[in-house]
Formats: sequence, C-alpha cells, structure tokens
Amino acid sequence: MAEQTNQDSTKSLMEEIGITDREIANRCAFLELGEKDIKELLGIDPVAEAYADPVIEDFYKHLLNFEETRVFFQDRQVLERVKRAQKQYFARLTRGNYDKDYIEDRLKIGAVHERIGLPVKAYLGMYNFYLRNVAARLFDEYKNDREKALRAFLSLLKVVFLDMGLAIDTYINRREQLIGKQQEAMRELPTPVLRVRERLLILPVVGVLESYRAHQLTEQLLESIGTTRAKAAIVDITGVPVVDSRVANHLLQTVSAARLMGATVILTGLSSQIAQALVAIGVDLSQVKTTVDLQSGLEEAERLLGYRLVPAGDKARSDQLHP
Amino acid sequence: MNTSILKQGPYLIAILQAGQSDSDLLQLQETLLEQVGRFRSRGVILDVTLLDVMDSFATRTLRGIAQAVSLRGAETVIVGIRPEIAFAMVQLGLDTRLSGVLTALDLEEALAILNRRCREGMCRD
Amino acid sequence: MTDVVQITVRSDADIILVRQQARMLAKELGFSSSDLTLIATALSELARNIVEYARQGEIVLSQIRQGSRRGITIIARDRGPGIADIERAMLDGYSTGKGLGLGLPGAKRLMDEFEITSSLGQGTTVKATKWAR
Repeated sequence: MAEQTNQDSTKSLMEEIGITDREIANRCAFLELGEKDIKELLGIDPVAEAYADPVIEDFYKHLLNFEETRVFFQDRQVLERVKRAQKQYFARLTRGNYDKDYIEDRLKIGAVHERIGLPVKAYLGMYNFYLRNVAARLFDEYKNDREKALRAFLSLLKVVFLDMGLAIDTYINRREQLIGKQQEAMRELPTPVLRVRERLLILPVVGVLESYRAHQLTEQLLESIGTTRAKAAIVDITGVPVVDSRVANHLLQTVSAARLMGATVILTGLSSQIAQALVAIGVDLSQVKTTVDLQSGLEEAERLLGYRLVPAGDKARSDQLHP
Repeated sequence: MNTSILKQGPYLIAILQAGQSDSDLLQLQETLLEQVGRFRSRGVILDVTLLDVMDSFATRTLRGIAQAVSLRGAETVIVGIRPEIAFAMVQLGLDTRLSGVLTALDLEEALAILNRRCREGMCRD
Repeated sequence: MTDVVQITVRSDADIILVRQQARMLAKELGFSSSDLTLIATALSELARNIVEYARQGEIVLSQIRQGSRRGITIIARDRGPGIADIERAMLDGYSTGKGLGLGLPGAKRLMDEFEITSSLGQGTTVKATKWAR
C-alpha cells in the first residue's frame, strides 16, 4: 500500500491528468497567449514586485472577511506561511517561461487547494479579487499610458486563465479518481454464481443493473458455465428494481451467448410491472425461457437436465412405475 | 494447415486449429462433406475450442457446413465456443446466424446430443 | 510512449498475424481476456474487408495512453475501390461480398469509437479505438 502511494506521488500530475506538450501548446494557442504577452508581462514584473506586498495584505483581509475562506487560516503561523507562498505564486505570473515546470507547479498548487477542500467558487472568487486589485494598481502606475496598462492586464488575464484551467483540471481529476474508486467498489459488489446441482447454476441478481454491472454479470455467468460445465443457469432478477431496454437487451445477449456455448439460461422473477414495461418498449423476450418465479425456474431447469422430482414417500411406487 | 478429422463410430469429429486460415476452413468443409458421404456418418461434431476468434467468415462457413451436412442427412453440433468468444459473437450479431445449429459445451455432451437425436429417429439410421 | 505496429495485409494468413499482434499490444495495456477477443474479432473483420474488397492494404495498431486511460487504436487503410454508400455499408446484413454483411457494423459494435471515411476509387480508411476498462 505504502509503495503504491509512493509511486503515485512520483508520477507527475501532468502525466496523471494527461497534459502533454501538445496540450500545453493548444491551451496557449486557444488563449492567444504568445511571445508578445510574455514580453508584456516581463515588462511589468518590477511593478508587480512593488505591489506584491500590499496586494497580499488586501487579499487576505478580504479572505478573512468571509466565513467560508476564514476557516482555512485559523492559525496565525499557518496564515503567515500561506501568505508567503501566495506571494510567490502571484510573483511567478509575471516571470515568463510558462513551460512544463510552470504547469506542473500550477497543478500541484491546484491539487493542494483541492485537498484542503477549498471550493472552486472560492478559488475563482479569490482570483477575481486579485485581478481587480492588480488592475487598479496597474492603471494607477501607468496613469499616462493607459494603453500599456490595458495590454499588460490583458496578458496577465491570459496567464491567469491558463492557471484557472489547470486548477479546475486538478479538481476534476480528483473527482474522476473518486468516481473510479467508487465504481471499483461497486464492481466488487458481486453477483454470486451458485451451484445448486450438478450442472445447474443460479444467479440471484440484486440491485440496479447499470451497464458495467450487467457486463460483469454476463462475463461471470459465461465464465462459470465454462468452468462448471453447467447445462442450465437460472438468472433471477426478483431483486432488480428497474429493467430498461438496455438491460433487457444485455440479458438477451447473455442468453444468446450461453446458448452458443451449449447452455440454457432461464430468466426468473420478472415482476408484472417489468414484464409490462418490456412489452411496452418493444423488447422481444420470446426467444428466452422465462418463468414467473424461482421455483418454477428450478423445475424447468430440472426438467431440462432430466431430473425428476419425486416426494421421498413415493419413492417405492415411482420405482415401480419406471423400472 | 490441415484440420484433423476423427471418425468415432457413426460420427465425424473435426478439431479446428488456432490460426486456421480461410482457405483451411473451406478445405475442411469440402473434406467433411465428402467423408459424411463415404462413411455414411450420422453426425458431425465441430470442435472450435482452440479458435482464438469466431468472426463472420468463420461463422458463415460453419453454418454452411451444418446446412450442407444436414442436406446429406446428418446432424451437426458445434462444441467448445468459449465464453469470451460467445460474447464477441453476440456483440457482432453472429448468434442469430447460428440459431439453427446445435451447440454443446464439450465433446461428451455433443455425443450425448447426437445419440439422443438418433435414438429419437431425427437422423437417418 | 506510443507503440505502433504496422502490418501490410494481402492474404488471409496476414489476418491471423494482425490478430496476434493486436492481442499482444492490447494485453500489455491490461485489457481483459474478453476485451482481447472483442478487439481480435473486430480486427479480423476489418482485415478481411481489406483482403476481400481491396486485395491489399495496411493495418496500423497503436497503443494510446491518455492520462490514466489506456487504449488501442486500429487504423485499417486501403486504396481499393472505396465504398459507394457508407450509410448502407454500416447496416447489418448489407454485403456486396461473400461475408454476412456484419463486418463493418459489427466491428463498430465491438469497439468504443469508430470512424470510417471512404471515397470511390480512392480507398477506405477505418479508425477504431477500444479503451481498457
């Protein structure tokens, strides 16, 4: 487990999220972020350095005004550390070289924000506050050349949007990982394949059959038919609340695949609602053996396998009848 | 690559090989039909356990064999379609193309099916 | 990062070779055995179409890695007669050759992504991708 965590942390976030050199180039092209902008930004770097401290002060004053963001900075020491880190982060915006290292760094910071649970809306709100604050200072600085201030600000806007895209990607990436893990957990929610008699299987399916689980069910059933040499299998869907046309078609395919292998599938437990719904949406189950409940399914399967159920007391008599 | 055909009493058993080419399959069809006539066989078992893929060509050829064999008065059983291959065939829509052909899990089962069909007089004696 | 295999297809023996190569590439990417069979089957259909209709063509197999996703892309390309009516060729049961008419639509069902381009007298290209689950 520990090893795996190590491995994950050494893998770059760029790789994990799937950001390639080409993707970086594409994003820059889409934002029209180019050489001119870099020159523009490098040009205001000294100004940015001068306004860095007051901007940071305003920035945190603003954040501390809101309950939602205040909770992250309860500790004085933490606050000081975060301020320093944030100052560096902003400073980096006007230093050029928006390359792989830059992207990886931005992703890392995005991931940190995601990890501490900072909502995206707060992240965006913070950046918005920062931009307005900086805009005011830039236009103040270049009072006599407002064009220049605007150009620099627009270039800054492009880099900031590049950053925001990356940060949001880290949020999405994390969610996708979470979804993946949950799916994994659901995959482990198995449908047991029970061997009832020699060459007879029962699969009691419980819960919603979304397409992944339906696929899994098919694979499991066909696999089990192969390994146990089952001639008949009962798929009981009493515990399945909804059967839509997709699931019904999947069941049909399963039945058909089992037949190709040389086994018969009997579908049991179709509730009257489900049966009516299937007819209404036009699913044709006429090629499938269906029975109303598990008991009659079992009887049907036993007939197929050549079993004859005889009450114990009648044994002598039935032997006489069929010597 | 020649497919080996075994004669087992009134039945012929053909074991198809992995990496069989299309022409091998067509060759098999010809040989089988000739042998059904020569040995007056009542049944043909096509064992496909070793095949890595059952695509539309293979399916069409096997169906063709089954149909021609039946015209010569014998029954065909296909044996050993593996789970993943059965699944791929269904996805491809090939299952309905084999709906008239008997299938069995293994050789033993196939022989039992043929014996039963012959007992019931469903193939010539 | 991407491994690519290119195979010229001109006979039914090549079809078998292509299937084997695809299985190897896909296995490296962690495809399940049932997915390997789906890929091999789709490929068999595409390669057979080449041999049957264009006599000769090529298959390019590439491993793709997109973030944490892994997949395999098949490109089947020929300079054959081309397909006059792609929409019809993608219908089940439509065939001008000796197949069952399930080749193209079937291959599409077996893969996750499927694109076909064709022009008369120029040839046909199919690009299909399957993602590992």
